[in-house]
Parts: sequence; C-alpha cells; structure tokens
Amino acid sequence: MIRPAPLSSGWATQIRGGWLAAGIGLLLLFPLSYPDAYLLDVLTTGFLLAAFAASWDVVGGIAGQVTLGHALPFGAATYACALLTRLAGWPFPLAAAAAVLLATAAGAGVGQLASPLSGPFVAVLTLALAEAAHEIAAGHAFLSGPGGYAWGGEGGIPVVLPWGDAPPIASYYAALAFLCLSTWGILRFSRSESGLVLRAVAGSPLTAQASGVPIGRFRRLAFIVGSAFAGAAGAGYAAHVGRATAGDLSLELSFQAATFAAVGGRGTVVGPVVAALALHALFQGLSLPPAARVLLYAGTLLVTLRFFPGGVAGTAREVAARLRSRDRNRGGRRRRGGEAPPGGSA
Amino acid sequence: MSPLPQVLLDGLVAGGAYALMAAGMSLILGVVKVVNLSHGAFFTLGAYVAYAMADRGIGGPVAVPLAAAIAFAFGVFLGKSFINPARSHPFALPVGTLACALLFEQAAQLAWGPHPLAVDGGAPWPGPFGVVVRRWGAVAFLASAAILGALRILLVCRPGLPLKLVAEDEEIASSVGIDVEAVRYLTFGGACAMAAAAGALLAPAGAITPTMGRGPLVLSLIVVIVAGMDSVGATFLLSIALGVLGNACAYYLSPQWSYVALLCSVALLLSARPTGIVAVPGRRD
Repeated sequence: MIRPAPLSSGWATQIRGGWLAAGIGLLLLFPLSYPDAYLLDVLTTGFLLAAFAASWDVVGGIAGQVTLGHALPFGAATYACALLTRLAGWPFPLAAAAAVLLATAAGAGVGQLASPLSGPFVAVLTLALAEAAHEIAAGHAFLSGPGGYAWGGEGGIPVVLPWGDAPPIASYYAALAFLCLSTWGILRFSRSESGLVLRAVAGSPLTAQASGVPIGRFRRLAFIVGSAFAGAAGAGYAAHVGRATAGDLSLELSFQAATFAAVGGRGTVVGPVVAALALHALFQGLSLPPAARVLLYAGTLLVTLRFFPGGVAGTAREVAARLRSRDRNRGGRRRRGGEAPPGGSA
Repeated sequence: MSPLPQVLLDGLVAGGAYALMAAGMSLILGVVKVVNLSHGAFFTLGAYVAYAMADRGIGGPVAVPLAAAIAFAFGVFLGKSFINPARSHPFALPVGTLACALLFEQAAQLAWGPHPLAVDGGAPWPGPFGVVVRRWGAVAFLASAAILGALRILLVCRPGLPLKLVAEDEEIASSVGIDVEAVRYLTFGGACAMAAAAGALLAPAGAITPTMGRGPLVLSLIVVIVAGMDSVGATFLLSIALGVLGNACAYYLSPQWSYVALLCSVALLLSARPTGIVAVPGRRD
C-alpha cells in the first residue's frame, strides 16, 4: 500500500485547511443574510460548475490527459435526465442515477479511445467527440412532445422534477452539499493508490510504463472516475435548471472547466473549485452579454497560461517556497558566521 | 437535371481552398510542432474581412491580400508572445490556442453579430451540362493552387531550407546560425495568413458566422494527420477529396451532418493511428 506523502508540511497545510473551513462556513451563512435571489442562483450554478471543474481535474490534472470534451459526460447526464423523466416517465432520482451511469459509460468509451494517445491529440479527440454530440443535440429537433411542441434543438428538453419549483435556498444548500461531497470524493481518489499512480503516469508515462504500470488501464480509470463525477454534476445541473440544452455539451463549457483548472492549478482539485467559484461569481455578477463572458474567460486563460504556467495558486506557492528557502539560506549563512563567501565558487 | 455534377464541382473548388488552410496547419505542426486549434479562427477572420470589404464595394483581389496581411500580423504576435514561450508546457498549447479561437469567435460575434452574413460572389458563368462555374470559385481554386505550388517550390529550394532544418532538428538548425525562434513565429504568421486567405477566397461560398471556422479546422486536422508536412501534393488531393465529400454530405443531408462526419472521421483516425502521426516527433528528454 502506497501512503501519500503530506502535500506540504506544517503550518501551510493547517492554514489552508482553516481557510477552507472558513470559506465553507461563510457560504453556509450567506443565504441567511436575505441576499438577492439572482445572487443566490449565481452561486448555486457556481457550485455545480465548480464540481464540474473538479471532475475535469481528475482527467486533465491528476492524470494529465488534457481533455477538451469534458462537457460530453456532463451533457449526456443532463439529456439522460430530461429524456428519461419526460419520455419514459421515470422518477427523477432514478433517472439521475441512470444518467450518472450513462456518463460513466461515455467516459469509459472516450477513455478507451483516448488512452493510447498523448499530448495534443487527446485534446483533439475529446474535442471532436464532444463537438459531434453537441451538433447532434443542437441541430435536430428529434422529438416532438405533446401539444405539438418540438423538443431538442437549441431550446433543449425540459426535465420533469417531482418538487416543481424548489425554493432557491434549498437548491443552494443542496448544491453546496453536493460540491463538498464530490470534492471530498475526488480528493480521496486523488490521494488513493490509483490517484498516486495516475500522477506518476502524468509525470512521465515512459517511466511509469517501465516500472510495470499498465498506463492505458489507469488512464481509462481516470476518464471513468472523472466522467462519473461530471455526470453527477450534470444531473445536479439538470435538477437546478430544469432543462437539458445543447449548451450543456458545448465546447465553451469544456473550455470553461479547463480555464478553472488552469487558473486554480491543475491537479490540486481544491484550486479549480475555488477558481470556478471566484471567476463564475465575478463574471456573472458583471451582467455582461454571454459572448463577452466567454471572451473574458478566454482572456483570463491566456493571461494565466502566459504568466502563471502553473496556475495562479501554483505560481504563488512556488514564489512563496522560493522566498522561504531564500530566508532559510540567509539564516544559514548567518549562522555559519561567514565561513564561506556568499555565492563564492572554488 | 441531376445536381450531382454541380455538388462535385463546388466541393472541388472548396477543397482547393481548404488545401491552402491545411497546408498552413501542417507547416505549423511540422516547423513549430504545435497543433494549432486557432487555425479555424483565422479562416473566419479572412471571411469577415472579405465581407467587410465587399460591404464597402471592394472586391476579392484587394480583400484576400488584406486578410492575409492582417492574419500574418496577428499570427506573428501570437507566435511570438504566446506560442514560443508556452511551447515547453504541453498543457498550455492546445488549451491556449483553443482560447484564442474562442476569443476571436466571441469578438466577431460582438462586432458583427451572431447572424449569418453573405458576400455576393457575382453572376456565375454557365458551363457544360447545365453546371455553372462560379466566378469566385474559379478564382479561389486557381489562387490556392498557385500559392500551394509556390509553397512546394519553396520547400524544395534553397530559401525553404531553414524551414526544413528547423522541422528536422532545431539544435542543428541553431548551430548553423539559423534564428530558430524567428523561423518559428514567421512560419506561424505565414500559415495563419494562408488560413485567412482561404477564408477570404471562400467567403462567397456560404453563410459567414462566428463559428464557421470549426469545420475547416477539423478538415485540416484530418489532412494534417494523414498527409504530414512534406507532401504538399498529398495535402492538396486529400483536401479536395474531403471538400467534395463534405459538400456532398452538406447537400444531401445537411451542413451539420457534414461537420459531424468530419468530427467522427478525425476521432476514428486518431483511434486507428494513435502513433502514426507523421510530423510530430516525440519530445527528446
């Protein structure tokens, strides 16, 4: 059994854990302050998006398979919820469970195709599969409902919810609980034996393969786990929005997840969650047209990739570590009492 | 009257222009060693430039070079400021170039609106068997063929040597005094200019929308995966074949199915040939 090494030692972990708890506390307290209904809705959607970003991180961060089609399991789940409740008349919880299973199966299929690939070709393959699904969902009003309404196409398919219109505060707490649970689950996975092996595979596939790791199997596992969590987020989104639309499968959504991960730091799980909440609340709060919002996301991502290749959080941590080690070196030299000239070479 | 000859001819013409774009993409893949997902955006840029010029009554002969010049400028900027510094981060490139594409798509949507626009291509010439030869189509095909011929000559002649050397081995290239970085960003800019020229040439072919570049992007990806950088001729023939197929698909089914068919083929191709991509050598560690 491999034991994970503590990610960072001492006070850093403690402070970070403390801040996380404080953040959750604030989020729990927030609805009690009689906030604007719109703001509550923005945050509820933000929680689901953050869970989606965390599920991206399983594939793109921990396993290092940069996927640009992560909307596929998400949208498959929302469409499954809509179709199963509408057409088959299933109760929502059963449909949601089936949707998660479907998303997992989709992930297994994509993983099967993508596991032999590496680098940009994973991105191209996943992008192509998700775009194909998006086009099929967007372009075809493939159902006609009762009363002559055409379902599908850009308008999407409504979901039947047993509770009708849930009070916003209940949706808020449910989404927050879901986010905490799924983040915890993904963190558990990332620190499990499989998660550690996946990090090794991402770090150097050749070395991992030489040590006898079946890298194809582990990459498939990453796609399966990531897609299962994405599917759960999709089912939650279907329950919150009450409609499955082609936007749930769009390239823009996959891209958003990659942006959150890049800003928050790939492979850290908590980083993408925080980045997703912050960016979503910020950009949604600016009340811009949707096109301008995607523009802002793309701009943020480019700036991040250019100046903080390790993510904003990752770069900050690196700088902090460098500062700390410099302090330590300075202290060490002082203690040695100038035996060696600073930076002197023999 | 069977529409088939007309569909085939239009596909042939479109394929010729797509070849221009695909050749640019394979240059980028070969020399810069980057899969440029923003290539489709430059195609769209060319189409919008052609539209804006046609709106002011200025025709293709001015619009195409202008589009190419604009794209070259942006391409050099992108290559110099983003691609070159980010090349060592395998995550940054596909995601970053996709970000550029989305950035442009949204900017175009803000500037010109999401509605499809059209460029008037002039009255077609009647040809044999009831087929019409579109004026812009003839121009697009001939211009693409001429540019590709020039590229082919460049690649086998002396001035193209730095390109081939950088594609082959960057260390040797820099050791014989080639400015590798400059070759990279100039190639990137030139390839983007080719995509924009293709977009401007094909602007009268159909609706101009912010996301119109995605289909040609996927088509170029297929061509690049199969044909590689060196064989301009193969790129040309394969693009024409795909253009004809895509056009037939669009005519007999719907334009969306043509895009879906292209997407499915790239997925199939990648899963069938996971390592068979000609132009991307593995990183040497």
